[in-house]
Amino acid sequence: MNPRVPIWLKWALGAAALIALPLVVRDRYFLHLLVTAGIFVLLASSWNLLAGYAGQLNLGHAAFYGIGAYTSAILATKLGITPWLGLFAGGFVSALFGLMLGVPSLRLSGPYLAITTIGFSEILRLVAMNWVQLTRGSLGLYGIPPFTPIRLGSWLEIQFRSEISCYYLLLVLVCASLVIFRRLIRSEFGLSLESLREDEIGAASIGVNISGYKLAVFTISAFFAGLAGAFFAHYQRLVSPDTLSLGETFTILTMTMLGGLGTLLGPVVGAVLLTFLSEGLRFLEDMVKLDVRMIIYGVLLIVTILFMRGGIVGLLNSLRGTGRAKD
Amino acid sequence: MESLFLQQTVNGVIVGSVYSLIAIGLTMVFGVMKISNFAHGDYSMLGAYVAVFMLGVFPGWLGWVGSMLAAAAGVGVIGLLSERLLFRPLLDRWTDIDIIMVSVGLFLLLENLAQLLFGATPRMIKDPFGGTTLNLVLVSTSVLRLFCLAFSCVAIALLQIFLTRTRLGVAIRATSQNRFAALLMGVDTTMVYALTFSVGVALAGIGGVLYGTLFAVFPTMGAMPTLKAFAVTIMGGMGSIRGAIFGGFILGIAETLGGNYISMDYKNAIGFVIIILVLLVRPRGLFGRKEGA
Repeated sequence: MNPRVPIWLKWALGAAALIALPLVVRDRYFLHLLVTAGIFVLLASSWNLLAGYAGQLNLGHAAFYGIGAYTSAILATKLGITPWLGLFAGGFVSALFGLMLGVPSLRLSGPYLAITTIGFSEILRLVAMNWVQLTRGSLGLYGIPPFTPIRLGSWLEIQFRSEISCYYLLLVLVCASLVIFRRLIRSEFGLSLESLREDEIGAASIGVNISGYKLAVFTISAFFAGLAGAFFAHYQRLVSPDTLSLGETFTILTMTMLGGLGTLLGPVVGAVLLTFLSEGLRFLEDMVKLDVRMIIYGVLLIVTILFMRGGIVGLLNSLRGTGRAKD
Repeated sequence: MESLFLQQTVNGVIVGSVYSLIAIGLTMVFGVMKISNFAHGDYSMLGAYVAVFMLGVFPGWLGWVGSMLAAAAGVGVIGLLSERLLFRPLLDRWTDIDIIMVSVGLFLLLENLAQLLFGATPRMIKDPFGGTTLNLVLVSTSVLRLFCLAFSCVAIALLQIFLTRTRLGVAIRATSQNRFAALLMGVDTTMVYALTFSVGVALAGIGGVLYGTLFAVFPTMGAMPTLKAFAVTIMGGMGSIRGAIFGGFILGIAETLGGNYISMDYKNAIGFVIIILVLLVRPRGLFGRKEGA
């Protein structure tokens, strides 16, 4: 990329491309993939905030996704609450659980934290499977209403039944979230998180309130994952215990590692790339009749860590010689 | 009522012995190399498949016992390879995240490769004793399950002898206590790492034969023993072999009793509830040492 192109122009061009994309490519399936990628961008970015910046290895991220999805789905189907409120309710309930999971993180680190977070998500998955009155168990909740139409005056009504309208809604959510992540990371908050990752005791000794920051980052990360879940519920209109599975978590973390852990753009690149790659692999799966996707994820994860530790973004940065691996 | 309680306790002890065996491998690898291997149970899965194929060729108890040796050898070699290729390059610049991520990648790879190679259909390890059951005063159990208990206890005892009575075993324990001091005493720690990893996963392989005998054999079966082994290891303190032995029996008994008296649906959650409770009280497990101690 030519460095002389002004930064605002790059952003404007990027935004224009994202807005124009569904108008140019009108294929519904392609749009569905874009929406899926967008959901994973939110999930991977929020996981990255926790694992990449604060160094807190959460292996139960899919639980927050599932909590958001189930919260909004249950509110809408059982209580008739509008999905617009449900979207944020999903985020907030998930954030509460994030705060709850943050408490043990105050005393645990590394493998101990990893296994506790797995336990957290597996317990919740079992609850989703077995609390049949509330969640319909493994059948999942279906018949979740889509986002209700927005009326703009008397002549314009935006429906959210098609992929294209959901795409735009998600685009707004993702962009807003990324802007928030960027501001968080560039602020004192972000610096404190990184000090936490590099040396917890050192950070505490210079007066960083590590307990406060840990709780905050768990809460924030869970909020955005819950938001993604709630959006997913009203987009897919079906939520099953699979949303809370370990497989989902591993997908999220493969995306982040491949794109570049601890970089703002890494999870975005990884999520988009892997969503499209795994669709591209479908033809292979039809041939061997099996899930090849996870084998590829496994290989990508291993290769990334062994040979390309900064992920794709780290690699590009070092090729450009900017030396700013952590952007 | 009493007999049911006793019966479930016996079942718990049998399952628990297999948990102990698998968990010992995990805790050894952690104690010596500081690797938390989330693919540990997949070595058990590989071991279980060794038994399935062995028994296909040599049915009967000889095939079953032989498959444990074959599983130990085969899985041990795979362990040696994975240590050399995946974990050794990471050890000098390791962070927890890198190592855990590599093991997660290995888990995804092994589980799904197994699905590709062996097919997704679950298989049973045929009872070489023809399903004979023994009726002891209040409890009854099959001969096969008793042999599972016996073999895991034998494997654990052999490991103890290896660790305390042989030079290599002492080298492993020395490295676990203090890597640099061991290095200064002339222990080849690189070799010790390879040996520990390989012995650790070989134990998981033997445990897998037994686990597959008690339950069923399928490509994704490895996740359960992994999580159980972590529960056991954390309960007992990561790196502590004695802790793993106790923890295995405690988890086995807690699960069968809990599954019976509380809820079958949540049986698999019991381990996690225990982990979380233990960690809340003692962040490094019941028998855990402080880091750097």
